[in-house]
Amino acid sequence: MRAYRRVTLVWMSILMPLVLALVLVACGSGGGAGDEPETETETSVDEPAATAEEEAAEPETADTSAEEEAAMPEEPLLVLEWSGYTAPEVPEMFGPFTEKYTATLEEVVEYNLFADDAEAYTKMQTNVGADLVHPCHSWWGLYVEAGLVQPLDTSRLSNWSGLHPELAALGEFNGEQYFVPWDWGYETILVRTDLVENVPESWADVWDEEYAGHVVPWDSAESNFIMAGLSIGITDPVNATPEQDEQIKQRLLDLKPSILTYWVDYTEAYDLPQTGDAWVLTNVWPDAYGFLLSEGYEVAYVNPTEKRLGWVCGYGISSDSTNLDLAYEYLDAAIAPDSMAALANTYWYGAANTEALPMIDEFAVEFMELDQMDTLFERTYFPEPISEEKRQIMVSIWDEVKAAP
Amino acid sequence: MENRSRVAVLISPSAVFLVVLFLIPLGIMALYSFRAGAFGPESQVFTLDHYREFSRNATFHRLLGRSAWLSFRVSLLAILLAYPVAYFLVFRTGESRLFLLTVIIVPAWVSYLLRVLSWKVILGGNGVLASFLEWIGFQPGGPILIYSPEAVIVTLVYVWIPFVALPIFAALERIDRSLLEAAADLGCGRFEAFLRVTLPLSLPGIVAGFLFVFIPTVGEYVTPALVGGPDGIMFGNLIFSQFLRGLNWPLGSLMSLAMLVLILVPLFLVGRFVRLSDLAGI
Repeated sequence: MRAYRRVTLVWMSILMPLVLALVLVACGSGGGAGDEPETETETSVDEPAATAEEEAAEPETADTSAEEEAAMPEEPLLVLEWSGYTAPEVPEMFGPFTEKYTATLEEVVEYNLFADDAEAYTKMQTNVGADLVHPCHSWWGLYVEAGLVQPLDTSRLSNWSGLHPELAALGEFNGEQYFVPWDWGYETILVRTDLVENVPESWADVWDEEYAGHVVPWDSAESNFIMAGLSIGITDPVNATPEQDEQIKQRLLDLKPSILTYWVDYTEAYDLPQTGDAWVLTNVWPDAYGFLLSEGYEVAYVNPTEKRLGWVCGYGISSDSTNLDLAYEYLDAAIAPDSMAALANTYWYGAANTEALPMIDEFAVEFMELDQMDTLFERTYFPEPISEEKRQIMVSIWDEVKAAP
Repeated sequence: MENRSRVAVLISPSAVFLVVLFLIPLGIMALYSFRAGAFGPESQVFTLDHYREFSRNATFHRLLGRSAWLSFRVSLLAILLAYPVAYFLVFRTGESRLFLLTVIIVPAWVSYLLRVLSWKVILGGNGVLASFLEWIGFQPGGPILIYSPEAVIVTLVYVWIPFVALPIFAALERIDRSLLEAAADLGCGRFEAFLRVTLPLSLPGIVAGFLFVFIPTVGEYVTPALVGGPDGIMFGNLIFSQFLRGLNWPLGSLMSLAMLVLILVPLFLVGRFVRLSDLAGI
């Protein structure tokens, strides 16, 4: 009898959550306060949105020189940022800003970090109180549509005129500028030329039997969808019709027997070609190519006949930002030619400000073809922003391909 | 009566912990599975669409089955490999057993990710195994086993062996040695004594070990992503992509609930044959 009761207890503890879950569901959205997923400010100690009290509070460094006091804004700027791009880590990428606020930098700008675009979008949707956000362009449309960012006054950016006009145009929606392009790059085929007989010349060549068992695509629903679309002559895969979606899925299924594995983290795009297991990697970013070149590997970064893919990320100002002056100041510092050259030299990504070119290392200029910016859009396909529905279609197609028996 | 209130005081911290950090979030997740979308006005619309989609989606069902079957094999292999080790420790090592037990557990202190990645080094094209085979005269000519469901099994078994060895060790140690002496006195051979005395008495440890492995591995997504290759992905990877790629939190929540139900099935089956309270050694 005692044992029986214990068993019941154990079962109760297992089944109770389910019962409770159902009860909560029955209550509808009565869950109230709990509905909003928790968010966390990872790098900042203070609350993101400073309260009036905090604003009134004197800076702790009250007894420092008048000059530094002048460089202390009323409330800190909160930037929603990729890790590896914060001003304290890479001060040279925000030159004018970090120079002005050297002593008080950690109090002037705070960060909330994200690891991928979906996370950034989620954080913006859940109101973390960010002033600036740094998503990539296939997501920009979603931000504008959801009203998360505000139109920019480009006249407040002294370095605006140096930006590549076509990259800048990608940040324009409904006749207004919403995003400032900053870092950009290619996504194309990377080949170990010493391991293959014929170097692929197009996206379609990736399907060639020659590379069977040694193809490594990026584990990205969006990029694979676009790659497969381009390879069968769909010039605008982002707006593919349902029939074309089906063709693209079939095309990706056809590639599956050739696949060795997928690269997930960017470091795998550095490692897999070195092991020799991977011959052909797709949608690789320029930094991996630069790394392998500098290590002395025989690699090619293909210019497919259907064009390379391009990506660009950039900054937008949150629609409820209360710190506009500082936000514009930060933004202007980020797109200054010196800052952008530092970005290109440090991470081997392209700089959206073409005036940075003279300060970028020759090696980086050469392998990224940064001296040919006027033909960038002739050589590169920058997909249109992707709607939430289309993104879900892409994800389910890629999941189906990966899960196919 | 006083006794009861004392018990209430004792359990309330853990009860509060369980309710706030486990039951309520689980309820929120269940709630999400009925929402039309994760954000904005769509999140205020309630629908059964995701349930319909889930019930129709053969990919989800196949992968759920594949994940369960894979975890089952992992659990079984881990038990088969851990049992002799635990047996040896309990019955053959005497004084040094605690030291040896620690030696077994030490690898578990190393980062999980590192232990998974090390298998890429072992099984990769110019990896340890391939180099060794080449050295003794074989020509493997490429990666061995890696980037396949089998690689996922090997890696997971390796990672989880210490966690299976522990409950089996504990169960074996609880066995009264005089029972074995009695078996010998009654003419039982060593093997028969093992089959009829030791093994049945260590069954709770085996079952606990099985559940320790099965429950967390069903939801695995890191290991399949790193060593699973094109055919090794598991249900956890699909949940990941619904949340982090597709922004489809409602469907992701539903898939997580489905996995929870899947885990309850073996628990229920086990509960029919073994008293769950025995697993905790009560």
